[in-house]
Amino acid sequence: MSVLVKFGNRITLPLVTLGLMTFLGACKMDMPPGGSDPGDLENISYDPHPYTIIKPDHFPPVPIPPDNPMTMEGVQLGRMLFYDPILSADSSMSCSSCHLPQGSFTDNLAVSIGIDGIAGRRSSMSLLNVAYATNGLFWDGRSPNLEDQAMRPVEDPIELHNIWPNVIVKLKVHDTYPEMFRKAFGIPDRDSISKELAVKAIAQFERILISSGTSKFDQYQQGDLDVFDDEELDGKLMFFDEGEPLNLPDAQCFHCHGGLTLTGNQYFNNGLDSVGNLSEFPDKGRFDFTGNPNDQGKFRAPTLRNIAISAPYMHDGRFATLHDAVAQYADNGFGVINEDIFIGQMGFPIGNGQYTGLNNYQIGAIVKFLHTLTDTTFVNNPDIQNPFK
Amino acid sequence: MKNFIFLFLAIGLFTGLQGCKDKTEPSGGVDLKATFMATYNGTQLEKNKDYTFGTFPLLFLRYRMYLSDITLIKEDDTEVKISDVEYLDFTPDSSPSDLSVTPEITYKNVPEGNYKGIRMGIGVNAANNAKKPSDFPADSPLSIETDYWPGWASYIFMIIDGKADPDNDGTKNLSFSYHCGSDMVYQEFTINQAINVTSSGANLNIEFDLLKLLTQEDGSLYDMANYPVTSNDVNNFKVALEVISGVERAITIDQ
Repeated sequence: MSVLVKFGNRITLPLVTLGLMTFLGACKMDMPPGGSDPGDLENISYDPHPYTIIKPDHFPPVPIPPDNPMTMEGVQLGRMLFYDPILSADSSMSCSSCHLPQGSFTDNLAVSIGIDGIAGRRSSMSLLNVAYATNGLFWDGRSPNLEDQAMRPVEDPIELHNIWPNVIVKLKVHDTYPEMFRKAFGIPDRDSISKELAVKAIAQFERILISSGTSKFDQYQQGDLDVFDDEELDGKLMFFDEGEPLNLPDAQCFHCHGGLTLTGNQYFNNGLDSVGNLSEFPDKGRFDFTGNPNDQGKFRAPTLRNIAISAPYMHDGRFATLHDAVAQYADNGFGVINEDIFIGQMGFPIGNGQYTGLNNYQIGAIVKFLHTLTDTTFVNNPDIQNPFK
Repeated sequence: MKNFIFLFLAIGLFTGLQGCKDKTEPSGGVDLKATFMATYNGTQLEKNKDYTFGTFPLLFLRYRMYLSDITLIKEDDTEVKISDVEYLDFTPDSSPSDLSVTPEITYKNVPEGNYKGIRMGIGVNAANNAKKPSDFPADSPLSIETDYWPGWASYIFMIIDGKADPDNDGTKNLSFSYHCGSDMVYQEFTINQAINVTSSGANLNIEFDLLKLLTQEDGSLYDMANYPVTSNDVNNFKVALEVISGVERAITIDQ
């Protein structure tokens, strides 16, 4: 300012000021696009409204992390980000490209394809009831929570193949998102938009992906015992090992797919591959995360809710039909040392630790029971559909 | 004068309420830290490790259980309940290591004093077992759905899973799975063990030895080859009762 005063006339000051602004403007061209004035969002009100997750009465309470409370504004932002291809490097794919509502938030492919057309090595997992998954995410459990999980596909070279700084730049200059971030998280300016907040919003949206509780199975659980036909009931009894009084064999399914979400979110070698040595598994599964040799070939048991509409099956999508998947289990595995103990216990015991396996009727009955887990109310819920359509 | 009458009434009411209590509720005491450990023949349990069980090898995959109503017993037989329910998973698959974990639980406000024993239930007491996981908040050990079995309408009180090779042919083709549940198999027992809780608190090491657990009262090993699994028949608790009753013999408490 003292320099300007030295010029001492009214014309010089505006010229110098203009020059300074031009200079600064030129400098600004070299700054990352989307740079913002401090406090440029503070004129937008920040008044978040708590979001109450709608869940069936017979479902357990939904665990919510204390550092990411659910708000209407957060869920709305998360839903937009989930469906918006802005997260990918070429703006061609979004989270929803591999997690579509009609497939119970899978893509119904054996393995998912990223923006460069490269196939991943594993099938996309259903996001139904993912809020209850508190024992790691992905098939190998490498991600501890939804916030961490949502961070990863953006920079995965065979998924969205982007980098977060690019995403943040696009979000900062976007017409809508800065205001939505302000309303969801109270940030003062565009520069406060961060990947941490973006994934918090996505996680909030994913936590509302809860069963409607209207499937045939849920109706039965709620006391409508006539809803199952005989075959479905047989399947249910075998699935939950409750068939002994009726001379139905145990299928042992519920040990890995138990509880109302029909997954314990634990990790198993479910007897898919015959290997002489654990290191021969084509996909090492959980071992990739834990480094424990005994975890080779183990994968997280997925939810079986909506399983009939989320084909194909297994971590690599090797089975096209439910019948093929159940029939695989019916053969009692291969005896690989880290196969789960229940893989070898299908059917009636015949001594010396051996079991009969399941016959075609029993396999079919279990498949029919699995169809009772279909929840079309959930997949058609308007609150979870693509907001851009 | 009215104030004095009110004061006497309040003292009388307070004294009366205290007299109605059967148990001393912890308040204003110190910390008691309990460290739980699973062992096999005295050494810390390891998943997937070969152990010798009598004449044949076996390995363990899972060992977890519920404890209920953990109560300290004073020398004058008054009781201090320090926990309603605990869930001990010694082999969580969230652990990258095969070495079993050693859960540590600190009980707050335990009254100082000399105790002569500790009582606990193995499993979930009848009051809680009448409920379902969805009846409990997400942070409750009783909200764990996979350890509830609708067939029994019960929590699975204890799970011991593994593989054995009873015919010593080099292949562990016998899977054993002892899943014990239902009110019929709930076990409660008292361990006579001096426990001194001083002004600086107390540390307890509580060990469960699986070899002792699978050793019967007469000293013989459990007949795993013939009874490798618990029955799902709600009228047949033979194996479940035999296995869960071994916990009393398996437990050691050190201070």
